Amino acid sequence: MLEIKDVYKSFGKTEILKGVDVTIDKGDVVVILGPSGSGKTTLLRCINFLEKADQGRAVFGDIDVNLGTATKKQIHQIRQKIAFVFQSNNLFNNKTALENVTEGLVIGRKVPKEEAVKIGKKALDKVGLTDKYDAYPSELSGGQQQRVGIARAVALNPDIILFDEPTSALDPELVGEVLTVMKNIAREGTTMLVVTHEMDFAKDVANKVIFMDGGVIVEEGTPHEIFVNPKEERTQKFLKRVLPEDFTYHI
Amino acid sequence: MSEGLNYKFLVDTFFIALSGVPITLFITVVALLFALPLGFLLALTRINRIPVLHRFAQVYVSFVRGTPIIIQIFIVYSSVPLLLSSLFTKFNIGMNVYDVNPIWYAFIVFSFNTTAVLIEVFRSALSTVNRGQLEAAQSVGLTDVQAYRRIIIPQALVVAMPNICTATVNLIKATSLGYAMSLQEITLKAKVAANVGYNYVEAYIDIFLVYLLLCSAVEYAFKLYEKRLSKYKPSVV
Ligand SMILES: Nc1ncnc2c1ncn2[C@@H]1O[C@H](COP(=O)(O)OP(=O)(O)O)[C@@H](O)[C@H]1O
Ligand SMILES: [Mg+2]
Repeated sequence: MLEIKDVYKSFGKTEILKGVDVTIDKGDVVVILGPSGSGKTTLLRCINFLEKADQGRAVFGDIDVNLGTATKKQIHQIRQKIAFVFQSNNLFNNKTALENVTEGLVIGRKVPKEEAVKIGKKALDKVGLTDKYDAYPSELSGGQQQRVGIARAVALNPDIILFDEPTSALDPELVGEVLTVMKNIAREGTTMLVVTHEMDFAKDVANKVIFMDGGVIVEEGTPHEIFVNPKEERTQKFLKRVLPEDFTYHI
Repeated sequence: MSEGLNYKFLVDTFFIALSGVPITLFITVVALLFALPLGFLLALTRINRIPVLHRFAQVYVSFVRGTPIIIQIFIVYSSVPLLLSSLFTKFNIGMNVYDVNPIWYAFIVFSFNTTAVLIEVFRSALSTVNRGQLEAAQSVGLTDVQAYRRIIIPQALVVAMPNICTATVNLIKATSLGYAMSLQEITLKAKVAANVGYNYVEAYIDIFLVYLLLCSAVEYAFKLYEKRLSKYKPSVV
């Protein structure tokens, strides 16, 4: 459904992405693992044109765009299909939770206001924020803010949602509620590309795990392949470092 | 010598000074109407480092802010008539430069001056709005113009408002320098009245009071407006 091909990106003289390919099928939950600085965020940002790749292509159904030279119109087209959940949620500070969710529908997608409100409320209900429609981001906890961020993405009914470490900026006690919401929407069949350090989420929810290091994909496979039988030494070392002692893989 | 204050003069001149308020406000409003949009646009060129324009804005700000307003007034008031009179002769316009109402010079000086102040006000306000706000807006399908109009400007405005208020009050006070261009504003009117009987102390007290009232009223209006704007940040005032 979405093919990302041969993405290169440098900042100044440093090459961050050195030819990355990712293929995602409908209904996939793909998790990207990798040490910090390996280019995971940059990859997601290039896919959504928040960063301009030096080279690379995105094939999305019948749309085939160059990630480096896409026109404004193509960028708009692709963004209609992709939603993004940011590490630091980036909720619109001047909008209520509900307005945050409806903004993209009403303004970005020209959905009539009334319908957008209906969709927005449903999305907020889904993430367990029925009582927070009219709260401003500053009145919400970090976990609630991130759940609004997820509702904002879900409401757009995109073909795929990109998550960039959605829980890593949260206090530990707030991580669970966000992961639960993500699991729920994954179970509903939402296609997701998730950068995360939550190994349990990768193990339990993903059907494909990608290990990235130094701007390249070192290894990819099913969670079982990656967690139980990693082939590459770099993958083994990384997992040894990040997996908790009691991490077990059950099939 | 010490005959005390001339209370009748004090009261009469208060109303004379007060009659200069409309001119002061007129100049203030014209300068703001000119400087708010232009200052905002130039601030955008600064933030987004638009080639040429952002340098121009930077140099412009340092020129205007690096010189006293009174000198800017003298320069405009002495050079513009020269420029105009050579234009008038060249194009055979039968008009005397000295018939030009000095309020035009005031418009020029205070508009350009306030623009420089507001470029900096908007620049710092815009830079407080996290880049993630624009990116989030783009990612939900807003165009850059929509993102600025609906997300970024409303937030920047809340931050800018106290500084816009300060700029406005400073502008009102600075118009008192208009007397150097024989502008019929608060200061000049009261001073002229004082010339007759040398009642300068009374005149100055009146000028003092009128500006104090005017500026307090403007500040109060801004405070009300700020409160309304910042409804989404209940923690901050
Ligand atoms: N806008 C930028 N300018 C310069 N360097 C950047 C920029 N964004 C990211 N980088 C660098 O690119 C590298 C990869 O960053 P990132 O994609 O955020 O990695 P990850 O998300 O895997 O931690 C890092 O070394 C980071 O410093
Ligand atoms: Mg990252």
